Amino acid sequence: MRTSSFDPELPEELIQEDFAEFLRRCHQCGQCSSVCPSLRNGGIRPREVMERAITGTFELETDRSIWLCTMCNGCSERCEMGVNPAGVINALRRLSAQRGGAPDHLLSEVKLFKETGLAFPRTRLTSKLRGELDLEELEVDADTQDELDLIVKRTSMGRLPVER
Amino acid sequence: MRDELHLFRGCLIPTRLPFLEKSSRRVLEALRVEVEDLPGATCCVEPIGMRSMAPDTWLAVTARMLSIAESAERDIVTLCNGCYLSLKEAHHLLQDRGREEVNRTLGEMGRHYGGGSEVFHLLDLVRQRREELMSSLVREMEIDLAIHPGCHLSRPSSVVDAEGPFRPGNLAEVAGWTGAGIAHRQDWPSCCGGGLSGVDDELSHSIFKETVWDFLEAGAEAILTPCPFCFVQFDSKQRELPVLYLSELLALSMGLDGEEIGLQHHRVKPGL
Repeated sequence: MRTSSFDPELPEELIQEDFAEFLRRCHQCGQCSSVCPSLRNGGIRPREVMERAITGTFELETDRSIWLCTMCNGCSERCEMGVNPAGVINALRRLSAQRGGAPDHLLSEVKLFKETGLAFPRTRLTSKLRGELDLEELEVDADTQDELDLIVKRTSMGRLPVER
Repeated sequence: MRDELHLFRGCLIPTRLPFLEKSSRRVLEALRVEVEDLPGATCCVEPIGMRSMAPDTWLAVTARMLSIAESAERDIVTLCNGCYLSLKEAHHLLQDRGREEVNRTLGEMGRHYGGGSEVFHLLDLVRQRREELMSSLVREMEIDLAIHPGCHLSRPSSVVDAEGPFRPGNLAEVAGWTGAGIAHRQDWPSCCGGGLSGVDDELSHSIFKETVWDFLEAGAEAILTPCPFCFVQFDSKQRELPVLYLSELLALSMGLDGEEIGLQHHRVKPGL
């Protein structure tokens, strides 16, 4: 494992992203960090993530902090340069997920989504409550599931390493 | 907003919080909204965790649902901040790019995204029908509320057409129509920590506590939110304050019985 790194492909890869038009305008002012609820509580440090992403020194294999973002979008809203740190974090997550780095919790969610079309499980309690409230049973029909299967197959979710 | 709408319920409400679906349906009925469940609905590929792992999947899944509404010549109303941002951001992005690729996939199932349907949140809908709503409210809600809009109702403001990211007032305005008092409003919509639940519970809880602390300090008697994710956080991770979802406050103010809309299923009982 590298202890210091320079990965010239990373900033190049990020600059290809749709959102990255303004990426190199980041002048490390730290306004992203000033509004970050995760940073205040010991999680991600958006300004540092930006610095490492732009300089190609973000270690995708070892830095887990990108998964500690709540996606509140405060950083991107606050950034006066239009740099979109939340978009950068999303892109780093995608690259990390492709290398098998996503947290188990999110991988189970993907698995459930692929199998049922929903991100939360239908349980016995679901049916009981819906019955009591006089609501119809919740269903994802077979045709819908087929269409979902096709989309997953044609897009990157189908290639995500979901089992470890 | 068209008069004919598709209701997109998402996943969390119909599976875990069906009582929020119940009160929402009752409010839509009372407002005489011509609404039909979105046929062929799936999860929106929620924009907090799942979307970041496979953004092209998110775009195709959301474009598929938008195309279904489009062929029925209906707009979409969502009950969840996550679904709202997910569909709205896809619609926003597809105005500039990605359309051809998405339509190649959709074409294989006989569908086509052309951008003909708009996406609204329940909060948008009730604000647009202010007159009908006001005339259906019969009960003065004597309760001081902490107003919690949730992140994705106003950020990114370039996508969700919010009234602006600083001190949003729409939810507080609707609360005021019911006669409720406003004990606390956020200048910068704060985070409930829900996005990290299951990923890092300790961090999630510590973000959550910051938000709730402000409400308690301000003397709120209950929390009002239009987001089911925030709802779950508030209802399951603290005991001091009950939480009301937007449609619950409105249904109560319309004179509906708390038990009929399932208030007894809250963990922290609202006592209303």
